[in-house]
Amino acid sequence: MPKIDGTVRIDSYRIQIPKGFVSGMRTDGIVYVDEILEEELEVDSVRQVANVATLPGIVGNSLAMPDIHTGYGFPIGGVAAFNVDEGIISPGGVGYDINCGVRLLRSNLTRKDVESKLEDLVNILYTHIPSGVGSTGKIKLAPKDAEDVVRKGAIWAVEQGYGEADDLQRIESNGCLEGADPDVISQKAYERGKAQQGTLGSGNHFLEVQYVADVYEPEVATAMGLFKGQITVMIHSGSRGFGHQICDDYVRFMLQSSQKYRIELPDRELACAPFKSPEGQRYFSAMKGAANYAWANRQCLMHWTREVFLKLFKLSPRDLGMKVVFDVAHNIAKEELHTVNNKKMRLIVHRKGATRAFPKNHPELPDCYQDIGQPVIIPGDMGRASFVLVGLEKAMQETFGSTCHGAGRVLSRNQAIKQAKGRSIKQEMAERGIIVRAAGKETLAEEMPDAYKDISNVVDVVHNAGIAKKVVKLKPLGVIKG
Amino acid sequence: MSYQVIDVLGDVGLRAEGKSCEECFINAGLGLYSLITDLNLIEQKETKEFELSAETLEDLLVSFLNELIFIFDTAGFIGNSIEVDIENNIIKVKIHGEVFDPKTHERRLLVKAATYHNLVVKQENNHWIAEIIFDI
Repeated sequence: MPKIDGTVRIDSYRIQIPKGFVSGMRTDGIVYVDEILEEELEVDSVRQVANVATLPGIVGNSLAMPDIHTGYGFPIGGVAAFNVDEGIISPGGVGYDINCGVRLLRSNLTRKDVESKLEDLVNILYTHIPSGVGSTGKIKLAPKDAEDVVRKGAIWAVEQGYGEADDLQRIESNGCLEGADPDVISQKAYERGKAQQGTLGSGNHFLEVQYVADVYEPEVATAMGLFKGQITVMIHSGSRGFGHQICDDYVRFMLQSSQKYRIELPDRELACAPFKSPEGQRYFSAMKGAANYAWANRQCLMHWTREVFLKLFKLSPRDLGMKVVFDVAHNIAKEELHTVNNKKMRLIVHRKGATRAFPKNHPELPDCYQDIGQPVIIPGDMGRASFVLVGLEKAMQETFGSTCHGAGRVLSRNQAIKQAKGRSIKQEMAERGIIVRAAGKETLAEEMPDAYKDISNVVDVVHNAGIAKKVVKLKPLGVIKG
Repeated sequence: MSYQVIDVLGDVGLRAEGKSCEECFINAGLGLYSLITDLNLIEQKETKEFELSAETLEDLLVSFLNELIFIFDTAGFIGNSIEVDIENNIIKVKIHGEVFDPKTHERRLLVKAATYHNLVVKQENNHWIAEIIFDI
């Protein structure tokens, strides 16, 4: 029996939402869930997958990854591709935190090297990385700088001395989407972005010191520079208030566009415009600017992390060996070439809470990953684990080269706070050998491991479905939250 | 205090009520501020004013709340008392409060935006109810 009436199980890892589940669907929906995760499926999120299937120009199926949950308009975990000629682009298919994403750093340090200094390390990182409500960064962007960030992304950060040129090749799209026009971004967005470059944010954003706990694919791991017992750092942040304002501005703008182009919307948060229309191109350009802001942001956060490690461990940059493994966007729309029914098509692929997972030999991958495929960084909760996967060919055939992005919540923030009453999450984490620091009073309760699905279950679905392959498992040692 | 948090899996929702549309909007604004910090610790040192218009009352509520988020995000300003005047879908707002200081004020949630998701603004007899979901 399906958990949600009207859905049909296709195989062990997928269910189908047939046309007709909501009226006006142009194609079926497909959700990647096994029977374990199907139990946690919300009917609202399934309806959102179906609603996306009603939008003009959709190609293939309306998809959702196993970390699916209800979002605004599009579900979190949603992947939808639209034909560039007849299809649409929607800010709701990207989300408020444009280019929210994850960067993974490796090092030459092992768990043994940091054990005695872990507490100091976490405290110093917490002091040096601006995080939480009301925090402002060390960078103040003058109007000219802000335009450069919009145009150049992580390249701007490297030009300012944050990190090295070598970092850029290991960032999705080299940390810069071309064609961002500073003039299509509102003054309000610039106001919000002025003091937030180089800040972590709050909520589920974090900086985590981890170690490689398990290696599943030794050869692939070696090609990524990863080995068992190694210290890694994971940074999860996005485009901050700059991106939130752009999304807010353009959802309002697109509500008018949807009327103008007579696009029927089952939900206002699906507001959209034809991709080729002036309105669609305007949003796409603004979105690129926010994506670039986010890549610059993670570049700055990484630079300060390196500085802290270098100072505390008294090592040269060469001996520390803190290099980027990869940096992925998990809230973004990208123009990509895909083969659909043996025909090459240019598509606008929306990934909202989903990660690009290109296989080996893909022309968009850097030389260093041509032989193995794209590293896919999947953060879990602060107590259990995170994973590195690698993209596989089947993702190109089934999911427009996409996979999951994280664990997804099982408890609301309020439920989490209630369950944490009378407990010290900080102490519980310390007992598991994990040192945590958070700016917000309730952050640790809201973000406690029990509030999230077990990331291992989520990753197993995409691994077993053959759209991405597990390479290593990372376990947390020190966590900084906003 | 006529606002309460609605449980939403990924984010946070609010239900605000009032005897008038104005009171309902005020409570939604204060509810939003209470997600960010403890309002009892905010002092009324300054007043900020703004005016907005929108096509519908629902859109006016979203725009009003997003403006409060914008002012907090750019000027750090947060209030614990709000005055509003609504006429023909134009809202005039006065906020009494101060600049947020992470050292003395409680740090709660960083609210990214008010959304149109499951948005409700309605009048039942002489009672106004608004429901709004925030992206966190």
